[in-house]
Amino acid sequence: MRKYCLSLFTILCSLSSLTAQENYAIDQLPATLKSRATAVLRQEETTVDMKSPELVITTVKKAITVLNKNGDVHGALSIYYDKSRSVQRIKGSIYNAFGGLISKISMSNFSDESAVSNGTLYADNRIKSFSPVVQDYPYTIVYEVEIRDKQNLILPTWNPGEYPDMSTLQSKFTFLCQPGTKLRIREYNFKGKPEVIKTEKNDSYSWTAANIPARKAESFSPDPDTYNTAVRIAAEQFSFYGKKGSYSSWEELGKWEYHALIKDRQLLGAEVQNEIRTLVNGITDDRQKTRRLYEYMQKRTRYISVQIGIGGNQPISAAEVHRMAYGDCKGLVNYMQSILNVVNIPSMYCVVTAGNMKKSLDPDFASMDGNHIILCVPLKTDTIWLECTDQNSPFGHLGSFTDDRLVLACTAGGGKLLRTPVLTHEMNQQIRHSTLQISKDGSASGTLTTRFSGDQYDNYGELIQEPYTEQLKKLKEIYNIDNIIFKDFKLSQEKDVQPSMLESLKLEIPNYAAKASTRMYLILNAYNRSNTVPEANTRTLPVYINRGFTDEDEITYELPEEMELEFMPENRTLKTQFGSYDMTVIAKGRQLIYKRKRVLNSGTFPASSYEEFTSFMNKVVDYDRGKAVFKLKGS
Amino acid sequence: MKYFYLLPLLLLTQLATYAQLPNFGFVTHEDMQAKRSLIDSNANAEVQLEYGTARMNFDDNTGSLYIDYEYQAQIKIFNKKGFEHGNIAIYKHIYKDGDMDKLTDVKAVTINYVNNEFVRHELDNSKIFNEKLNKYTSVSKFTLPNLQEGSIVQYSYKLRINYIFNFKTWDFQSDIPKVSSKYVAFIPGLYNYNVVLRGPLKLSSSNGVVANGCMRINGRDINCSKMTYVMDNVPAFIEEDYMTAASNFRAAMYFELSDYMLLDGSKRNVTKTWKDIEYELVKDNRFGSQMKKKDAFKELMPSILKGSTDELGKAKAVYRYISSNIKSNGFIGIYSETVVKKALESHSGNTGDINLALISALTAADLDAEAVVLSTRKNGAINTLFPVLSDFDYVVAKVNIGDKSFLLDASTPMMPFGLLPLHCINGQGRVISLKKPSYWIDLLSSEKDYTRNNMTAKLGDDGKIRGELITYSSGYSGVDKRKAIQKAGSIDEFVEKLDEQKPQYRILAHEIENLDSLDLPLIERYTIEMLGYESMAHPQLFLNPFFMDKIEKNPFNLDERTYPIDLGTAKESRLTMILEVPESFELKDQPRNLNISLANAGGRYLSSTAFEDHKISFSQLLQLSKPIYAPEEYLSLKEFFSRIIQVQKTDILLKKSGK
Repeated sequence: MRKYCLSLFTILCSLSSLTAQENYAIDQLPATLKSRATAVLRQEETTVDMKSPELVITTVKKAITVLNKNGDVHGALSIYYDKSRSVQRIKGSIYNAFGGLISKISMSNFSDESAVSNGTLYADNRIKSFSPVVQDYPYTIVYEVEIRDKQNLILPTWNPGEYPDMSTLQSKFTFLCQPGTKLRIREYNFKGKPEVIKTEKNDSYSWTAANIPARKAESFSPDPDTYNTAVRIAAEQFSFYGKKGSYSSWEELGKWEYHALIKDRQLLGAEVQNEIRTLVNGITDDRQKTRRLYEYMQKRTRYISVQIGIGGNQPISAAEVHRMAYGDCKGLVNYMQSILNVVNIPSMYCVVTAGNMKKSLDPDFASMDGNHIILCVPLKTDTIWLECTDQNSPFGHLGSFTDDRLVLACTAGGGKLLRTPVLTHEMNQQIRHSTLQISKDGSASGTLTTRFSGDQYDNYGELIQEPYTEQLKKLKEIYNIDNIIFKDFKLSQEKDVQPSMLESLKLEIPNYAAKASTRMYLILNAYNRSNTVPEANTRTLPVYINRGFTDEDEITYELPEEMELEFMPENRTLKTQFGSYDMTVIAKGRQLIYKRKRVLNSGTFPASSYEEFTSFMNKVVDYDRGKAVFKLKGS
Repeated sequence: MKYFYLLPLLLLTQLATYAQLPNFGFVTHEDMQAKRSLIDSNANAEVQLEYGTARMNFDDNTGSLYIDYEYQAQIKIFNKKGFEHGNIAIYKHIYKDGDMDKLTDVKAVTINYVNNEFVRHELDNSKIFNEKLNKYTSVSKFTLPNLQEGSIVQYSYKLRINYIFNFKTWDFQSDIPKVSSKYVAFIPGLYNYNVVLRGPLKLSSSNGVVANGCMRINGRDINCSKMTYVMDNVPAFIEEDYMTAASNFRAAMYFELSDYMLLDGSKRNVTKTWKDIEYELVKDNRFGSQMKKKDAFKELMPSILKGSTDELGKAKAVYRYISSNIKSNGFIGIYSETVVKKALESHSGNTGDINLALISALTAADLDAEAVVLSTRKNGAINTLFPVLSDFDYVVAKVNIGDKSFLLDASTPMMPFGLLPLHCINGQGRVISLKKPSYWIDLLSSEKDYTRNNMTAKLGDDGKIRGELITYSSGYSGVDKRKAIQKAGSIDEFVEKLDEQKPQYRILAHEIENLDSLDLPLIERYTIEMLGYESMAHPQLFLNPFFMDKIEKNPFNLDERTYPIDLGTAKESRLTMILEVPESFELKDQPRNLNISLANAGGRYLSSTAFEDHKISFSQLLQLSKPIYAPEEYLSLKEFFSRIIQVQKTDILLKKSGK
């Protein structure tokens, strides 16, 4: 139930007046750019002209050759706009493989739709989009677009070679501004030098990239931002939805955000303040107070996405959240902070880039980044992090949505970067114990308990609020065993800073162990079989494991008297830099005890280790399907 | 909470003045105390009461008719999961002239029970957000304040709809249960609507009385029928897998204007007889006229036919020509959008353009071709009782050769001749002919969905299995495979991906046949190697012969089923393996030879293993013979698959001879 809730869309686009008539025939393209590509970006020229903080004109000219149906998505164009951004001009043409003109495109060919996602009550974002419908491949589509922004806090970025299946022949990005304008520029994975020309009229910076081939998508690869080329620019003096300011560091940006967006939104009425003080009456420990008030906030409110005010960056006032009993991430965090203010517990409103992939704010480049807000409460002994959009989240539990990354704390004294807690593979546990009686006909029945902790705490997050019958339905998908029947399912939460979720149930699996004439086959790993990882003949990117975990399974099988063990899988142990696997089977009278421990480490490993990685992962898949075979006694 | 003390009184009076339904605006203790839904104890929220009225009115200023619609609902929120039912969205249609349904009088309130008192929190109307979704739809959204577990939400609004053809559809069923849903429609006697209740649920009551002078036109009072439809204890609608459009099954009342009387007493038909519709379609410049564009193909015909003389050969040549020369622009519809001639020139058109062009071209080749209008699976079922032209959203060609006929869709790529794409397999279609009256035809897939995997291999002394695997795919499987190859970019990239995804196999060589011969099965030949055993030193080896198409998950794993299971097509898949093993091994045990069937020839499964000359011969057959199974057959399908899964878990046991 965690939601992204800032809508800082990055800006696509640029201006240019191209002179000569281009030749868009397909035979002009080098073969190296066609390999593995679904489309080729033949030419892209983006010019961002920052006339003043209140007027930024972006012009883009783009020519894309779409090689096959899968590349159609790259031939499409979508432009987001809102109150502070307008689309001034769009035109385009489509050419066939020989460079002959097929049709022309104008603003009227673009659809104009609300860009508000279904879960959002209100936001004023709209989207203009066009998808070419051409059946003869390849074809080339050329666009020219002009966009005007009335703010310069969020400036267009340059991301050549962004899509692995689109190669780039040439891409150029130019930034123009008044002479002497103070800028900060951050280049990522850019090898050359920008061309800088300063004249009386303006300062001009430009970057070019050429001949970037398409790449194969690779599994277990790192965040593309770590290897893709990008340029980001920030202006010191800015204007944003009518608010002015200046910044050149996280410290200054965080300070501005606090004063311009948050400070005036925190006053709660006297009645409410009294109610809050009453709540913590008699509690002396700040940690206990915070917990009491966090649970109060969770109980009182619900998450509703409403993106209004200052480009969707200003929270609804705390008083209004209290009155309406709902808010988005900004509103709820600001409300929680305001509540803590009443009892003099300091806390910090923190901007984070949320998502399963860990992404830090760049310590070397302050900018309006991030898509979510969380609250940090520094106490004397430890620091508590609060996710405020989830009414069930345990106190102090962030989970994989915002773990282990740099976030910006916006405070009165200035912004600072803080790191959220790490969830290690030792912490992300799933520990399962089960006892199964196998009957003569192969049916299994027994009990099971599982403890989930760390980021695996959230494995059953979806289930916790569901009605019982719905839980049973979902369990059938989770366990995914033919014929399985659940009874007495219980899910309980141990809400703590290291929270865990406990599952206990009774189950029956008719005919789990399959029978053939006198033999019976039993797959020992009943619940937790892993899936294959694709192999690769060539691997270019490092192997990246975003988050590690530890799974332990222990199943005790009670076997029918009529059968005797004929064969059982050998014990297996694998130890690699990526993790380990230990599987043992012990036969003890009529019992068979299966134990499996699997650890996956997080981290980045060299590309050359990919084969070792797939070999490890796929061996586990193989071992997970190991069978024990039983024979009818006396046969 | 003091803040709200003044509100209840105010609100009471306000609601009381406009409430038209006893109950609305007031909450009983009984409603408030409800802890769970009596219809479904697992529901997160429930509509306790829902009431709508729609009446036709005449606008003296514009001289046009419109529908006045009022809606009121009371929803009980049982738990936090139910909070989403406190988010309300009211959709408004935008008409061609830019005119839009007009929403007024929105009122909403949350009622909580705190300290033995009803506490009300009214919606602030400045918190109603309007959003234009796209060209055709706008939405007004709001959320109720102060929701708690146990809250009651009430809201009401009025909508003016400037389009009387479909009157106002009423949905009895939604995603939460409803205790009572009541709809009152005032329909002027001059207007005659076809009224259809969709879905398997029945009305609890319905009645009609005369309402005098319910409408005035030019100063004249018109009488109406006041129709009241009630459905009580309506369960939530839950979508299931293998199901056509949800709108076919969800309980709702649909209206379609059939005819109306003018004030002078003359009658105008709107919904027509099939004869009228045929006439209209055949005459329509976007339909019948496009079926007759023979001339467009006159000169091309010799080069299209390339000497084919028999009728079937000619039909195939024409079908291939049209499907490769006019590509779909992604739009569907029964009418030609750009006219056949232009579509042919620009090589692009909608379904209507392409398939009407196909009919013209077939006719130009002296073949007997007709059009079939149908409703796609997504669009829902066709009402076969009376003709409703707007139900249809797709057109295909029917060509009659001798005593056989073939249904053709040239707008969907990669289809074999005579096979309709799955989205067209939906009940019946209406055949529109230029020569004879229209008639119904069953829309069935002409070929079953078929795959066959043959493996011939040898288990070596090094534990490796080497051999050849041949896969045949036809029907929808062939279409899907060809699409997958196209999506991969090339055959080599397709095989590379396949190789990478199956770590147990290594593909040493490959060859793909009939990729472009769409009427023939797609054949993939692979030379493969796989690691069977790390060591052959063991005295016994277990081998699972189900090397492909292994069913790991039962597709029918639920405990019950409400709606028919619609697979769209019959399916068949076969597996054979001949595996030579080292001479020192012999077969000791094997999966049970299974031969099971579904009732009424619904399907069959066979598996058998034999051993001779150091060779294991294994075969498996799975047939699902019916495109649609009744809900009562669900449990036997489940059991059928369950038995297959069990046998697939068992192995062949090889033992070294003499041990």
